[in-house]
Amino acid sequence: MLVDDLNREREMIISGHNACPGCGAALAVRYLTRALGPNLAIVLTASCWSIIAGAPPLTALKCPILHCPFPSAGSVGSGLKRGLEAKGKGDTTVVVLAGDGGTFDIGLQALSGAAQRNEDIIFVCYDNEAYMNTGMQTSSATPFGARTNTAPYPLFKEGRKKDIMQIMAAHGIPYAATATVAFPDDMEAKLKKAQSITGFRFIHVLSPCPPGWGSESADTVHLSRLAVQTGFFPLYEIHNGVDWKMTWMTDKSRLPLSAYLDRQRRFKQMDKEKIVALQEELDDEWYFLMNKVGPADRC
Amino acid sequence: MLSGVEKIKAPYFCGASPISVNKTGEWRLLTPTRRESLSPCSSDCLLEGEIPLWLEAVKRESWPEAWQIMSRNNPFPALTGHVCYQSCTANCNRGRLDEEVDIREVEKAIGYWRLDNYEPGGKAVTSKGKVAVAGSGPAGLSCAYYLAVNGYAVTVFEKSAVIGGMAALGIPEYRLPRTVLQRELAILEDMGIDFVTACEVGKDVEVARLYSEYDHLFLATGAWLSRRAGIKGEEAEGVWYALDFLSLVNRGGDPESGGTVVVIGGGNAAIDSARTALRQPGVDHVSLVYRRSRAEMPAEPSEVEAAEDEGVELIFNALPREIITKNGAAVGIGFDYCRTGLEGLIVDRNRSFEKSCSTVIMALGQDPDYSIFGQLKETRPLYAGGDLVSGPATVPEAIRAGRLAAFSLLADLEGTPLPDFGARPLKKVSFEDLNLAAKVNLQLQQKQTLPFEEAARCLGCGSCNSCGVCYLFCPDLAVDRSNGSYEFNLDYCKGCGICAEECPARALVMEGGV
Repeated sequence: MLVDDLNREREMIISGHNACPGCGAALAVRYLTRALGPNLAIVLTASCWSIIAGAPPLTALKCPILHCPFPSAGSVGSGLKRGLEAKGKGDTTVVVLAGDGGTFDIGLQALSGAAQRNEDIIFVCYDNEAYMNTGMQTSSATPFGARTNTAPYPLFKEGRKKDIMQIMAAHGIPYAATATVAFPDDMEAKLKKAQSITGFRFIHVLSPCPPGWGSESADTVHLSRLAVQTGFFPLYEIHNGVDWKMTWMTDKSRLPLSAYLDRQRRFKQMDKEKIVALQEELDDEWYFLMNKVGPADRC
Repeated sequence: MLSGVEKIKAPYFCGASPISVNKTGEWRLLTPTRRESLSPCSSDCLLEGEIPLWLEAVKRESWPEAWQIMSRNNPFPALTGHVCYQSCTANCNRGRLDEEVDIREVEKAIGYWRLDNYEPGGKAVTSKGKVAVAGSGPAGLSCAYYLAVNGYAVTVFEKSAVIGGMAALGIPEYRLPRTVLQRELAILEDMGIDFVTACEVGKDVEVARLYSEYDHLFLATGAWLSRRAGIKGEEAEGVWYALDFLSLVNRGGDPESGGTVVVIGGGNAAIDSARTALRQPGVDHVSLVYRRSRAEMPAEPSEVEAAEDEGVELIFNALPREIITKNGAAVGIGFDYCRTGLEGLIVDRNRSFEKSCSTVIMALGQDPDYSIFGQLKETRPLYAGGDLVSGPATVPEAIRAGRLAAFSLLADLEGTPLPDFGARPLKKVSFEDLNLAAKVNLQLQQKQTLPFEEAARCLGCGSCNSCGVCYLFCPDLAVDRSNGSYEFNLDYCKGCGICAEECPARALVMEGGV
């Protein structure tokens, strides 16, 4: 268990970084670098982490960071890996770190290209469900019913959240998985597994954002756990795009979605019909997922 | 050196400087603070022991610290680790998950650590004054200990030839090995406490003389008067009172009991007598007869079960009418049926039976000898404690009484205000208060043999047990770990509060201000 190995030497982020109090992304990258380090190079697309990592000459990570333009994360990662291989440094793990904007919307074509070429990189999307760094604009990762600064009350996000895991599974990549900060053991295990596989690997991390979601900063881990317990963000992994496997299931039935929504101001003025609609959407997705996951793999 | 500044090692350095010059602690509005609440075990502990704290120290294998915490409330953990009836585990929150933490075994381990690691020759400073203690039972010893460590010269007067009071003479060997008590006493003697044996206060030495020769006096003479049954044949040969029987056996004497033994009574002394009798050579059968039902027995249920497992026959609802004698020796007892009614015992003389036996042990209870109070002509406040005040009770209760007396005496002698003994928070941490979602400390699901592993099963309930969840979930790496325990690095803590929210033991709160 992660908590049994509290070796500070393994930590690769540095105190003093610029994340907001209670930042889920900071926590996600802490677990990520800890699991994959120290021989690690990070490609950072425009996202919260561009700021969190600090302006040169300061850095919040004990590994090289390559900042890159918004749509190019996949291509820059591919280039960096190939360059390292050409220089005989192929053992360095290349991680592309992108927010949901750099993955779901702006970065999707480069991501798709890199996945199709099966580049030997780990693409980690830390998903805070909107463009939080630039002022909380709606992205295609924003869930139905949420309010953002581009959809203020009485508006709300319409349409479903894009199912990025299905998109990645459709590319037939060797490994794709979901993870979240309330389950650091699960996350570390998935990252270690990803590191042991060659080819394009995709990790989708739900990272709560207190200012963007309008939640208490203390609730970050709790919300992340509730997201899993309600089935809003199930934890699973996909091998080769076809072999779906749950890694965490509630022993009892899923919690009602309202337990998760009630703690976030972005869902505050959501009326009953919309909550029911979102719950139904979730139930559909759960049913779909359970069909994908064989009965033996429901863990 | 600032603890957050770390060197970035080559070859991953890339010419950048660590961002730790950025003191994000300045952003903080709320500060995580430890706030200890009462755990169920501490709340139920007769000694008011800070159980989760010393369990946490044992978990880190920091024995000196464990002893230091322990000795604030209990200077004799080896003793209580053997004889305490463990009220602490009754409401243990771990029991709701799998099995209660075996607190007493860990306590015993701390006690043995103390016995093994005491450094002799460290005589306490004994210049502040002189105090006399009457009675060398657990209450007297505990009072003597706390006075001695606070710099007083203590003389303990004991009426019998053996030091230890009820712990030496009342408690059977199988519950408390004599060597444990002897080693505890050796430490007390080494600390500079004087013991005067075979000297009864009020008889061999006048109370007035003690008051004039010593600065103060603590009375803890215990409850040693056996209650009589007032039935025919009570004076016959082969009839014992429990305390006489137990103290004779404990001194190494032979009560010459043999054949069938009948113990009358339902308290802890009765159970101790029955189990001791069973261990005597020549005893074939031991019966314990109690006048009420099993549920009404004042004895500790676990001890009753142990006696039953060892082969003691339990007979309920029988009141002894007479002891049948032959040539001055007991040969049997006549009983009447008896049960508890609304207005006392209901005896049915038509349903009587007889039981033949060679030895009878009467364990009908003990009373304190109050005659010592008659000799007091002082106007100064009087300090007394232990069984003398409470009536027959347990070793932990006596140790607590001795501790309270010692600190009251200290306040009296030094003219300081009396410490507030009752100031404990009322609300205790319930199972529902705990946050076990992070699933830390839940691995060991059964009792462990190693003390530090057993201590690791403690959930903490209201006090930090160094589980590491605060460290695990800190996005800012602002929790430092040193020597196994955790501290907040306020240079970088942004005050998000995740640690307080996730703390499984609920030992953290966010407080306003920096």
